[in-house]
Amino acid sequence: MSHQISTNFATFYDKPLMSNTSLPLIAQWKDRPRLLQNIGDAAKLILDPIAIDKGYYPIKEMGELAKLGAFASHLSSQNNGFMTAIESTAQISKVCGTTGFLSWCHQVMGFYLDQSENTSLKNRILPNHTLGNTFGGTALSNPMKTWANIEPMILRAKKVEGGYRVSGTLPWISHIAPHQYCGAVATVESISNISNDLPFDIFFLLAFDDERKREWRLSQCPTFSGMEGSSTWKIELNDYFVPTDDIIADPAKPFIERIRGAFVLMQLGIGIGIIQGAIDDIRAVEGQLGHVNQFLEDQASGLQLALDNTVDHTRELAKTPFNPSKDYLLDVLDLRIQSAKLSLDATQASLLHQGARGYLMTSNPQRRIREAHFVAIVTPAIKHLRFLSHQLMTEITPN
Amino acid sequence: MNIDKDNNPTDGRGEWKQFLCRACGWIYDEKLGDPDGGLPAGTRYEDIPEDWQCPLCGVTKRDFELFIPRSINIVKPQINPISNTGGLVVIGAGLAGWAVIESVRVLDADYPITLITADSGNRYHKPQLSIAISQSKNAENLITQLATAESERLNIGLVANTFVMHIDTLNKQVRTTRGDFNYDSLVFAIGAKPVLPKSLLPKFVWRINHVDMFAKLQQKLAVKPNQLVAIIGAGMIGSEFAEDIVKAGHQVILIDRNALPLAEILPTKASQMVKDALVRTNINFLGNNTVSSIDKNENGQYEIHFADNDKTITVDEVVASTGLIVDGRLPNRAGIRFAPQQGIIVDNQTLQTSQADVYAIGDCMAIDGQACRFVAPIRQQADTIAHQVLDLDSEGYSHQTPVVRLKTKSVAVTVTGSPCRNSHWETIVDDGKTLIMQQAIEAGDGRVEIVADMDFSL
Repeated sequence: MSHQISTNFATFYDKPLMSNTSLPLIAQWKDRPRLLQNIGDAAKLILDPIAIDKGYYPIKEMGELAKLGAFASHLSSQNNGFMTAIESTAQISKVCGTTGFLSWCHQVMGFYLDQSENTSLKNRILPNHTLGNTFGGTALSNPMKTWANIEPMILRAKKVEGGYRVSGTLPWISHIAPHQYCGAVATVESISNISNDLPFDIFFLLAFDDERKREWRLSQCPTFSGMEGSSTWKIELNDYFVPTDDIIADPAKPFIERIRGAFVLMQLGIGIGIIQGAIDDIRAVEGQLGHVNQFLEDQASGLQLALDNTVDHTRELAKTPFNPSKDYLLDVLDLRIQSAKLSLDATQASLLHQGARGYLMTSNPQRRIREAHFVAIVTPAIKHLRFLSHQLMTEITPN
Repeated sequence: MNIDKDNNPTDGRGEWKQFLCRACGWIYDEKLGDPDGGLPAGTRYEDIPEDWQCPLCGVTKRDFELFIPRSINIVKPQINPISNTGGLVVIGAGLAGWAVIESVRVLDADYPITLITADSGNRYHKPQLSIAISQSKNAENLITQLATAESERLNIGLVANTFVMHIDTLNKQVRTTRGDFNYDSLVFAIGAKPVLPKSLLPKFVWRINHVDMFAKLQQKLAVKPNQLVAIIGAGMIGSEFAEDIVKAGHQVILIDRNALPLAEILPTKASQMVKDALVRTNINFLGNNTVSSIDKNENGQYEIHFADNDKTITVDEVVASTGLIVDGRLPNRAGIRFAPQQGIIVDNQTLQTSQADVYAIGDCMAIDGQACRFVAPIRQQADTIAHQVLDLDSEGYSHQTPVVRLKTKSVAVTVTGSPCRNSHWETIVDDGKTLIMQQAIEAGDGRVEIVADMDFSL
């Protein structure tokens, strides 16, 4: 199938890479409309959303989408086109929400490396990651919640010769597998009892490689309502060695604060795609069922208007992904909440429009409803976004 | 005595009446009198001596008017925080927000109203904050009504401890940290917030602009007497608060970048007189000093550094009263005409903003291009907005510059008209104790009257 894809799409980039060099600007990916068109066409051609929903992990398909430039536009080598990256995810998510989620996972893992000051790590991993020759996701759910005062940090690190030893169990992390990797954070425990020796966090590349096979363990998660093809595992680390060479950021917190707005904003692609897919499902039955569907509150035109506003607002915010102001972050959080709510409304509407056929387990609407639930509960969930906003807007006082 | 054991009048002059101070909104109740001000319970307004002063702001009885409490038709309370009934949504539960709600309820007992507020919504009279500590008042004493009880009495939806994140005027929706609310009419009563220069970090300096922060500072000052407090900014609030803290048994250093207090609003001669009076109360006034930074030392005290000299002052607490600004986040996102220094620009008569069905009232509003951060005009503003919201005929709002009265006791300062900083001030009276200065009518008719209490003692 890979051969067929490469000949069908002019943006397909399958040249071999020099090892340990930075990713060049890839000329085939510069034409934005063509890039998005190709990603959308390819997604329709190669993704089987029913199989993925049931548990097929589309790793081969992710590799092909990568070579079409789906996970690259936001990187500095490709001139930081954050909106294009979001739209790429949306194109994929419109076909399959699970693969849309994988797209975001893959994009942000690349983003961490791209923004890291550890150039040798970046050159070692990022080019092959971007081209879908290797794969990895993100384990930032717990630390993001820690920094929002929602839950304590799970992973603990001890400083050792040449790096750190990390232990702890993360419940469910997606887009990982043996021979893959993710970005993870651990709190470094104080080595001395000196009072001003404050704990700090490290952000590191957690690779599930053969060399450290005895230090990590991946185990099956219980069955979820959706996202079963996202290769989601429980991670157990037992004195897992992180060499200094694999540090993405130390200390982690200032780094995360810098990328947090973009991290959340890029999730918009998942919701936008699901909503557009739902609207398309409504339109698909309009000719046949329009005479009764007109009596439903939510119609395609109104939902499309709301979605277009969301997309416009996303485009505006994607122009300044590193804006450090509180107002900017609040706008991103608000937009993320809106997209989650609209995902719920639009997918619900699509099932009501399609009726019994939308209720079949093989139909889009019932699947998209579960995908939309995921958008609403994945970190940061609607409630987290509001909790964080509340903290950001609370007045600071002396104590 | 003209009062019986049940507090009913026995003088045959009808029911007890109430009178409202036009300057500060304090209510004189004949039944209660003003015992601290020498008026026993049952003192009729007519019998109040001419030299009696408003206990809150110090104006005399001439600036009081008859206050008739509103009759509100109470219906079954409906507390349904996440209802989406449209109607009126009010953002902010200060004096202005509650005033709008009261005004609407006078006209319509059932019109749906939702109050969204970042604080608890409890009602208090904000002008009291700068004079409350010396009266040994804490936040509990200052709160007159609890929001939950008021929301039942006024039949409104109360959404407290909730921040508004965004306003979508196209879809008429307010998005908050506890959900989204649709509106037919929207009222901004968001107030103005203290503006802090970069040198004053919010984690180090107190601001006296809300009862919640007041409560924390009040508790710290109550722990031990004779603490050293620096107040930065000698405007109205700074000067009032300085006197209040001194009267409460603490030491005060009042710091201002100008040579004299109230330099932004008073002519020099008047500012000098205010300064002399403050100094007589043992306030250490430090003019011509700009704070460059503040550090917290290991004893928990604050070290204040200055831009123009090497001195360091170490104090127990720092209070900033360095001006107010309206937060632009929501007006900007609502697409409303807005000027950061002045506030949300409204139509002079309807108080509508540049967006249809969106109004602004109180400290967050700019009328004639000017902020008007006084309590007195709020009732009329609320009444105007209530008529607009309910689509009832009204004469519209007619703005009058309120009487500005400093709530200090050592010196009485009254400003009327619209003083113009660069126009000539003519001295009418200057006898060392009393100073009256006047500007020409065409220059704004500004008038300043100052009476120093030479015998003032703590």
